Amino acid sequence: MAIIEVKDLVKEFVVVRKKTGLGGAVKSLFWPEKEIVRGVDGLSFDIEQGDIVGYIGPNGAGKSTTIKMLTGILHPTEGEIRVCGMSPQKERKAVVRQLGVVFGQRTQLYWDLRLGETFELLKRIYRIEDKRFRETMDILNGVLRIQDFIDTPVRQLSLGQRMRGDLAAAMIHDPTVLFLDEPTIGLDADAKHAIREFILTMNRERRMTVVLTTHDLDDVELLCSQLLVVNHGKLVEDGPLDAIVNKLSPHRLLMIELNHSAALPDHDRARIIRQDGLKVWYQFDKSAITASELIADLSGKLPIRDLSVQEPDIEDAIREVYRTTA
Amino acid sequence: MRAYGYFIKMRVLTALAYRFEVWIGMVGDIIMLAASVYIWKAAYGNGVVGSGGFDVGLQNMITYTVISVLLASVFQTGVQNTIYTQVREGNIALDFMRPLPLLGIYLSDDIGSMVSALVNKAIPLIVAAVLLFGFPLPAGAGAFAGFLVSSLFSFVILWLMSAMVGMVAFWVAELGNLGMVKDAVVRVLSGSLVPLWFFPDAVQNVSEWLPFQYTYQTPIGIYIGVTTAGDAVRAICIQGIWVIILGLLLAWIWKHARSKVMVQGG
Amino acid sequence: MNEVRHYVTVFGYYAKLAIQRQLEYPLFLVSWLLMIPTQYFTGIWMLKIIVDRFQPLSGWGFHDLAFLYGLGLLSHGLVVVFFIPTWGTEFAVLRGEFDRLLLRPMNVFFQFVTGYFNFIGLIDLIPGVVIFIYAANLVGFDWGIGNLLKLALVVIGGTLIRASLYTIIGAVAFWTKRSRNLIFMAVATMERTTMYPLTLYPQAIQAVLTFLLPIGFISFYPAEQFLDKSTSLELPLGLAIWTPVVGLIFFALAYAVFRFGLQKYESAGS
Repeated sequence: MAIIEVKDLVKEFVVVRKKTGLGGAVKSLFWPEKEIVRGVDGLSFDIEQGDIVGYIGPNGAGKSTTIKMLTGILHPTEGEIRVCGMSPQKERKAVVRQLGVVFGQRTQLYWDLRLGETFELLKRIYRIEDKRFRETMDILNGVLRIQDFIDTPVRQLSLGQRMRGDLAAAMIHDPTVLFLDEPTIGLDADAKHAIREFILTMNRERRMTVVLTTHDLDDVELLCSQLLVVNHGKLVEDGPLDAIVNKLSPHRLLMIELNHSAALPDHDRARIIRQDGLKVWYQFDKSAITASELIADLSGKLPIRDLSVQEPDIEDAIREVYRTTA
Repeated sequence: MRAYGYFIKMRVLTALAYRFEVWIGMVGDIIMLAASVYIWKAAYGNGVVGSGGFDVGLQNMITYTVISVLLASVFQTGVQNTIYTQVREGNIALDFMRPLPLLGIYLSDDIGSMVSALVNKAIPLIVAAVLLFGFPLPAGAGAFAGFLVSSLFSFVILWLMSAMVGMVAFWVAELGNLGMVKDAVVRVLSGSLVPLWFFPDAVQNVSEWLPFQYTYQTPIGIYIGVTTAGDAVRAICIQGIWVIILGLLLAWIWKHARSKVMVQGG
Repeated sequence: MNEVRHYVTVFGYYAKLAIQRQLEYPLFLVSWLLMIPTQYFTGIWMLKIIVDRFQPLSGWGFHDLAFLYGLGLLSHGLVVVFFIPTWGTEFAVLRGEFDRLLLRPMNVFFQFVTGYFNFIGLIDLIPGVVIFIYAANLVGFDWGIGNLLKLALVVIGGTLIRASLYTIIGAVAFWTKRSRNLIFMAVATMERTTMYPLTLYPQAIQAVLTFLLPIGFISFYPAEQFLDKSTSLELPLGLAIWTPVVGLIFFALAYAVFRFGLQKYESAGS
């Protein structure tokens, strides 16, 4: 059964148009001009338990709005949402007990107080027993190493430390679904690595479902098994990561380095797209010929010194989606 | 000068942009005005006149109140908060990089706010006051001219005091709402609520040596004619002296604040 | 019962955190300590000057006025301690702070209001208590148990009425994104209507402040009763009953408005 079900989801916003100039300002004073904008426009998808789903799209595509509706913060204009079988709007308290949420651009930690105080507060809000609380803290500590700065006021934490603190705060009540909105934004390589490790560990050990929005395609590549791609509030791709990439760019590249220059043979199911000294690149369609077949065909005709098969670039694939749906 | 003009214009535009705020601000001012007028009506009511009634009649007292609320709504001294916020958020060093004198920018900001306050606060207030309590006429043409001159000085005195209090932030950043303490003192000792001539003599004697009463009481006193022409000239001269004293004091503090920022980098 | 204990525990911890946060900036406290008493003591002083120079205001001498002023300040002080976040609804809306509250399995209004226990607000109670005790002795207030109980009910009811009004006005920000100026206006208006006799104002305004906005119940009508004045509002039973009842009803209404507004909440950013 899908843990998250979304059907025909729509969210409209009213935007007030401001007119320019002094005359415009006076005019807006009496007759403001309003316009309805669809931030999310008819989304439908399911998310299965235990998946790590990348929810991606360009800025303003409606990602945050969707996350906020799934977590019960915003009320949809139209459509249906079920999270853990319940409506996040009508049964908010029951649903959010199951959710961990981190907004990368904002923090739920108390700015002026030491980090540990926030956990103590959450312990009381979620009514976590002492023993269970200590166990969870130990586990979180093992992966996120927050013990090192648990007594530091939050305002003095580095961005990476703060994000680790926020992740721990979102996990303290052992949620079944974790929503992450831009979790690695602005972090250095070390901190990104720690956070990705954490997500994978929690997913593997607890079958925790993770939904994350990101602009960092390394996140997508390293973490996500499923992908939802949105643009202009509409779903444009939905499926396993490799299937989407294959569909969007079915071509592979075979790079061959020669021992010495030789006449380059043509091949009916691959074509030479580039040549640089003793290196040559063949492009082929994976559905038409496998890499090993191509290598076998070419190895008789060419003095091969080294070779490699290059997977298509996920970034190119995504850029392609944004471009064609713009 | 063009650059300052730009700051003024931007301020007018932003003030107008908050439509809701504009309406609410108007209504709030009118309510406070009415509340004060009703207190005076009760004080003068039933023909029983205490010693206070001999100084000035009810109609004049209502005019006094109307003009006081009017001035309060027009005088904008945002400089106090601006300096405080800029210092606290560490933007002040950047502000110093601007090619124009900083206090000049802050002043044009406030003048811009005053222009918009004239349009969207003063005019509706006057209309409401006329409808509710009759036209708040000045004692005469001369009185009105004196009032205009004196009000200008009043604003400068208030602005200088605000800038000074704002600058406390350079030394004690946390004392942000010290400005509100000053405002509370000004409200009372400026005569904006109750004219100082009703106060006990001892307070009046001390107050003459403080700048506060020269902000509200002086121009309004001239307007309603309680202050005679000769006294008015004298009062305006005292205002001028206060402007000079406060101006010099501000310049001196500003110099120190500036060098403090330059050393610490804000 | 379990539920109640849960909320009390969380409230306790919220209060602890809030006090800790406020003590992080001790000088801030000092400036409030200067500001608030200055404001209210000069306020009552102005009244004394007017009465001395003129006459009692619509039958209220200085002692009576001080009693009303003090009584009004008591519930004002309590609102400032317990309900001050309602004044900042606009900021909470603009900064998207309700996001965090909505993500936690507790009542959002509870979290919003108790999330900032305004320890510093106790300063507002200082002039209130001082002026009330001073005036109560001037008017010969009977400090018997019965009267104290009545006083407690009136102050609690008054606190609820004020809190409700601020909640409703603050919640306007859910629709318009702004309510700060409306709040400022309400705070100023409240001062003029709960700390000064309502009979200063025309009948129409008195009616509005009684039936439309039950501001008269906060302190004016109860003060009339405590002072044995001829009451301007004839009601069966005492105001010690009516003020808390009106408070509870108005509070329920305010809560409904807040809930309704929260559905219109648009969060911050995109």
